[in-house]
Amino acid sequence: MATFFEQVSEMGVKQAIITKADDVVERLTAGMNISDIRSALRGDEPRRPNPRLRPHADSFWFHIRPSFYHTEVTHIYPTFRLGWLSTFMFVWETITGIILMVFYTPSPLVAYDNMWNILSNVPLGQLMRNMHRLGAEVMVLVVALHMLRTFITGSYKKPRQFTWATGVILLTLTALLSFSGYLLPWDQLAYWALTVFLSGAEAAPAPAEFNANVLLILQGAPSLGAGGLLRWYLFHVLLLPLITAIFFFVHYYKVVLYGISLPPGREEIGEDTAKRVPKNERTYFTPDILTNELMWTALTTLFLVAGALWFWDAPLEHHADPIVTPLHVVAPWYLSWSQGWLKLADKTIVIGFIPLLIVMFLVMPYVEVGKSRRYADRRVGLTVASLFFAFMLISNWMGTPEFRVASSPELEVAQEIMPQEGANVLLGVPYEYLDTGLYVPGEEIPDNPYLTRALEEFEAAMQNHSCVLNGNPDMPRQGIWDDCRILDGERYGNGFGDNAMPDPYATLRITVEQANMKRLTLHFEVPDPNNPGELLVDSGDSIYAFRHEGSFYEEECRFLNKDC
Amino acid sequence: MQVKVVIGTIAFMLTMIILGYAALREPERLEHFSAASEGRSIETGAKLYYDNCATCHGVDGKAQECYDAAGNSISCQGLPLNSYFLVCGDTPARLEQTLFEGTKVQFIERTVSAGRNGTAMIAWSERYGGPMRDDQVKNVAAYVLNFANEEFCAEEPISFNWPDAYEDLLTLETEDFVAAPGDPENGAAVYTSFACNSCHGNVDEAGSNQIGPWLGDIAEVGATRVEGQTASQYVYHSILYPNNFIAPDCATGPCVGPPSAMVQDLAFRMSTNPQDMIDLLAYLVGE
Repeated sequence: MATFFEQVSEMGVKQAIITKADDVVERLTAGMNISDIRSALRGDEPRRPNPRLRPHADSFWFHIRPSFYHTEVTHIYPTFRLGWLSTFMFVWETITGIILMVFYTPSPLVAYDNMWNILSNVPLGQLMRNMHRLGAEVMVLVVALHMLRTFITGSYKKPRQFTWATGVILLTLTALLSFSGYLLPWDQLAYWALTVFLSGAEAAPAPAEFNANVLLILQGAPSLGAGGLLRWYLFHVLLLPLITAIFFFVHYYKVVLYGISLPPGREEIGEDTAKRVPKNERTYFTPDILTNELMWTALTTLFLVAGALWFWDAPLEHHADPIVTPLHVVAPWYLSWSQGWLKLADKTIVIGFIPLLIVMFLVMPYVEVGKSRRYADRRVGLTVASLFFAFMLISNWMGTPEFRVASSPELEVAQEIMPQEGANVLLGVPYEYLDTGLYVPGEEIPDNPYLTRALEEFEAAMQNHSCVLNGNPDMPRQGIWDDCRILDGERYGNGFGDNAMPDPYATLRITVEQANMKRLTLHFEVPDPNNPGELLVDSGDSIYAFRHEGSFYEEECRFLNKDC
Repeated sequence: MQVKVVIGTIAFMLTMIILGYAALREPERLEHFSAASEGRSIETGAKLYYDNCATCHGVDGKAQECYDAAGNSISCQGLPLNSYFLVCGDTPARLEQTLFEGTKVQFIERTVSAGRNGTAMIAWSERYGGPMRDDQVKNVAAYVLNFANEEFCAEEPISFNWPDAYEDLLTLETEDFVAAPGDPENGAAVYTSFACNSCHGNVDEAGSNQIGPWLGDIAEVGATRVEGQTASQYVYHSILYPNNFIAPDCATGPCVGPPSAMVQDLAFRMSTNPQDMIDLLAYLVGE
């Protein structure tokens, strides 16, 4: 081939540059020159021989993608793009995670400070953290849905059993990846979620010595501390992503090898035509699939960026404190079912059942060998799956705070409107509206809509946790009193629960603590109906919180569209 | 196919616009979060203060109103933290008195962490055997320093110009202050309200002193300490300048110093009512 200078003397500078550019593009794309790309983007028919197939043979990135798909699998149904989306989320988490790693040190001395540094000192740091955390939850959801859809369409059947098995492993790894990142902020949420998880490991159905050693490996010390944080950090950024990448490539290779299965009704029973595609049924990767994936990349990025900026914030609670157990420790929603199970059965049984369940999923396609993928032929399988799905949903609900073990009613009221952590009705009132004074639930404060609303919430919380008898020790309203009395007069209840305050008196007192900080004290007094003159509950000044001018809770509430 | 290209391009452009918007609002957001970070540190510090420190340093850090765990009122053993001389300015007087070369943040964090030898202030940091983590020490210091604000620090509290000789104080007549004869009864109250008793014990009970010398016999012993000083002049001088003479008879042997373990800012704190000094001396020395 002529050198560039020979071309210049032969066809002039302009033409030589165009020819050279064409050449460079063809080398970069491993087979397509500029006019080929333009024609592909225009949607023209390819020239012969088809240059759009060459990258699949010659380039690294395209050789792991098939050169064409069966047209039937390129629509939203049957794949819902969930496999592709899982891959996208893995890449997304890797990129945002690496950026966050720059600002993070896995040590209990600084990890929590690092979080505040990311929030208050790193440009776009909060967005990056939100995107990573939101991405983690979306990824769990997407991978789980991917598995669900694979089951429903029967795509796990021969010859794709092994693909399914690697998929089960990938789902487990995704949940572990998401959960291992939980500990890193070293806040109360992180610390106690991990503590609960590790107490599970301790209860596994194995010899106690074995469990003790597993626990020691998982937390690096007899108690969760610096060693544990470092280990979970390394699980999160090194070990788990590495294993996930290995299984991802195996999974992906199997998909390329066997193709994506057609919708169940579109082929004969027992046949697998994904790889034998008639010419007129083919959709080529370039340009159709490629542009499709680029479009979804752009849309998903838009969704995640906008979501992380406006609609969702990664939580950050107080510094981890091994001495202070939060009132209601909850697992992340995607592990909430396990917490629900703990209310159903003994810990050891539950912990033993989870690996058993994973193994059941792994071997399922080798056991369930019915030939037909059609829905009508799989009534038993689909019914069992629906029942299992419903069971998981109910278990998940049982694991949420809705289904928690309640503490004393006055603490529950305080937790509803002035919780130790998270969105806060009372602290969410803008600082300048926190007028000092003594308030009662439901009081209307003129020219102060925020405080009025907070006191409304106070009243609602009181109603959930009290049976009001209007302060008469002689109990003239006997009917109501009977409803309220539950256990021989030792506990009291209302329509919401069996632990309520009979006829309580509650106040909110706002005082100035420092020039730019106020103290909010909740006070509860409950006369003992059975011993007139004595108090059943007297919280004194023990339930209080401070609110600094700059603390920013109201923005948090507005931002999260939360009811506070 | 073209539709996909159009949708993808629009989505990409929207993402870029959103990121641009996010970048534009970043300075404001960072400022908000810096304030939030500080505010929440102070809030946490306040909780820690009331859980751990208020027993000795009192409600609002004034060392005037102290309660034990059962809620009974007790005498405050600590120094006031809500004090101009601890939190205001770059180098508050307290730092100079204790010969501390550093910032006030460092001073408070150091004192909380390592405690103060010879006083009831223990080491709070878990680095020195106490219960608090580093972040908690920082939070407490942030709370204490938050007593400082423009209004509070605008003017130095009036510092009384103490005369050198005690006789001069007894006969002092200025616009703001006219000395009255000492009232031992009020002196006894001053002795407790300034928490002298927490170190020097009960004057009626020899050996009740915990740290400093017992003062029950100071009327006799005081006259022998420094040549040329009467007992009242000696006590007066020791209150104003605790480091000038170190007494030989502390609770556990000779006193340590200088600097003395004696509270250093009584000259400031008694400035608000100099008559307290006369009453206190009337109570201790009887003249």
